[in-house]
Amino acid sequence: MTRKADPEVILEASHLSKSFGGKPALRDLSFTVRRGEIFGLLGHNGAGKSTALGIFLGMVEPDGGEARIGGASVQRRRAWALRQAGAIFESPAFYDYLSGMDNLKVLMSYSGGFDAEAALRVVEEVNLGDRIHSRVSTYSHGMRQRLALAQALLPEPKLLLLDEPTDGLDPEGIKWFRDFILRLREERGMTVLFNSHLLSEVEQMCDRVAIVRQGRKVYDGRLEGIADEEMTLEIEADPVELARACYGRLGGRELAEEGRVSFPEGTDPAVVARELVEAGVNLRRLTPLRRSLEDVYLEVTGSPEGKEEKS
Amino acid sequence: MQLRSELRKLFARRRTYIGYGAFLILELVILWVFHLDKPREEMGKILSDAGLEVDHYYSALTVTYWMLGFSMAMLGAIYLALVSGDIVAKESEDGNLRMVLARPISRLRVLTIKYVAVLIYTLTFVWFVGVSGYLMSSIALGWDGGLFVWNYELRVFSFFPELTTGIGRLCLAMLLLSLSMCTLSSIGFAFSCLRIKPAAATILALSVLFVDSVLQMLPFMAPYKEHLLTHRMSNWVYVLENHVSWAKLAESYTALIGLDLTLFVLGWMAFRVRDFKT
Repeated sequence: MTRKADPEVILEASHLSKSFGGKPALRDLSFTVRRGEIFGLLGHNGAGKSTALGIFLGMVEPDGGEARIGGASVQRRRAWALRQAGAIFESPAFYDYLSGMDNLKVLMSYSGGFDAEAALRVVEEVNLGDRIHSRVSTYSHGMRQRLALAQALLPEPKLLLLDEPTDGLDPEGIKWFRDFILRLREERGMTVLFNSHLLSEVEQMCDRVAIVRQGRKVYDGRLEGIADEEMTLEIEADPVELARACYGRLGGRELAEEGRVSFPEGTDPAVVARELVEAGVNLRRLTPLRRSLEDVYLEVTGSPEGKEEKS
Repeated sequence: MQLRSELRKLFARRRTYIGYGAFLILELVILWVFHLDKPREEMGKILSDAGLEVDHYYSALTVTYWMLGFSMAMLGAIYLALVSGDIVAKESEDGNLRMVLARPISRLRVLTIKYVAVLIYTLTFVWFVGVSGYLMSSIALGWDGGLFVWNYELRVFSFFPELTTGIGRLCLAMLLLSLSMCTLSSIGFAFSCLRIKPAAATILALSVLFVDSVLQMLPFMAPYKEHLLTHRMSNWVYVLENHVSWAKLAESYTALIGLDLTLFVLGWMAFRVRDFKT
């Protein structure tokens, strides 16, 4: 069956499902990543993120569904599909007894050939400099990650698949990595799929996220929209009954956390304050709260303690 | 380019050379044994009983033949099983395979390159043992002399008085011995494709060889002996007969090459359906 692919969509997960030993790791996962986007795939450890990445790279065979890169099915035309993608894993495994450059030569031999000039350019870009000629066994975790970035960028992919790339990096390394990825998007229009459980990283980098829980997608949307869906105010006022009556008139809803009230999108905090004061309420404090990605994440995945079982 | 990369990986590892080092030591030991009075006397007796001139046949070529047989049976199997058992399983265990499989290359191609690399390693290994053995023996005994071959099990008793004929036959023997050892490497390779530890792949390959050798020794297996793996693998000695039975050799090596290909296909079938995930 053929269907016309949307040229703006570079990665498409279509009804992916996968079980390991009868235990479901992915259940009917579907989402799309558009060209030039930085897309975050969020979830607890074991939620199915790495399985999804494995399917996108043709390393894991799905029980059902299909993954497409640039319109080409990974399951049916793997080599063609992967020509458009580069990948970085959480702990990239290199041949430690070879130099960084030799590792690039080996890996590039599987991607159509090694171009020494291009390699040196990328090595400079990722700040590996002369250390590229040292054995990888002497590299720090940060250097390994930069080498991983170099090997992923060398074939000049349109799509970068990153699996927990900043895990284990120091704050300086994380910032460098984040800035580098943002620059790649800005300067080359590169699309990035960012697989992570680090909310702050995703919040700072991604345009859109999909949240996965027990292999199922529970949220898919733009990050900027998350904060605007509702407006939460933290209010300290008395008498409480009088204040509650005001909240009701304004369409507000008290949240579980004490003093927090959620109002419909577009509610002006100044209007709330005026309404309370005019009703004779002693208003001691009124603070608008931004609904963070963490709030959304915890809301859709359950409590902070609600870790999923490993797949 | 991909094969060169695979060979670069294989030959850049220090552990690859442990085998070469161990063989040089073993060859020195065999050479020392041949220098002892008792073996010298024994060999001299066999040669003189056959009416052959002892000094002429107690030579570098003869010692090289013994070195090849002994060292391959004793150590060669272990080292080749180690390397072939490692080739896929070690990269899978270390996570290198994920880096390779993230690239636009088919699994069949990845495996084919690795298999060819293992075969090249096997061939170079056997030839290294043969050539280094001859060089060492030449230093100890002189380069000249004939080739005397005696194998009680296979009923081979032959001699080649001329150096050039002896070298030619020994080269042919090394070629066939390499092919025989390729079968062991293929067994290790096939196990390496499974989802098991590299050490397990090596042990399984050696176990197959061990069980086969035990079967060969059992009296009731005598009628089937010719079909056993280790028997076929030892058929390289037949090329050292004065009158070579090419048909017998062709039959044996066709069977071995067929088995090698079957093992490769089995390995690929197992590898093809494997999931690679963190």
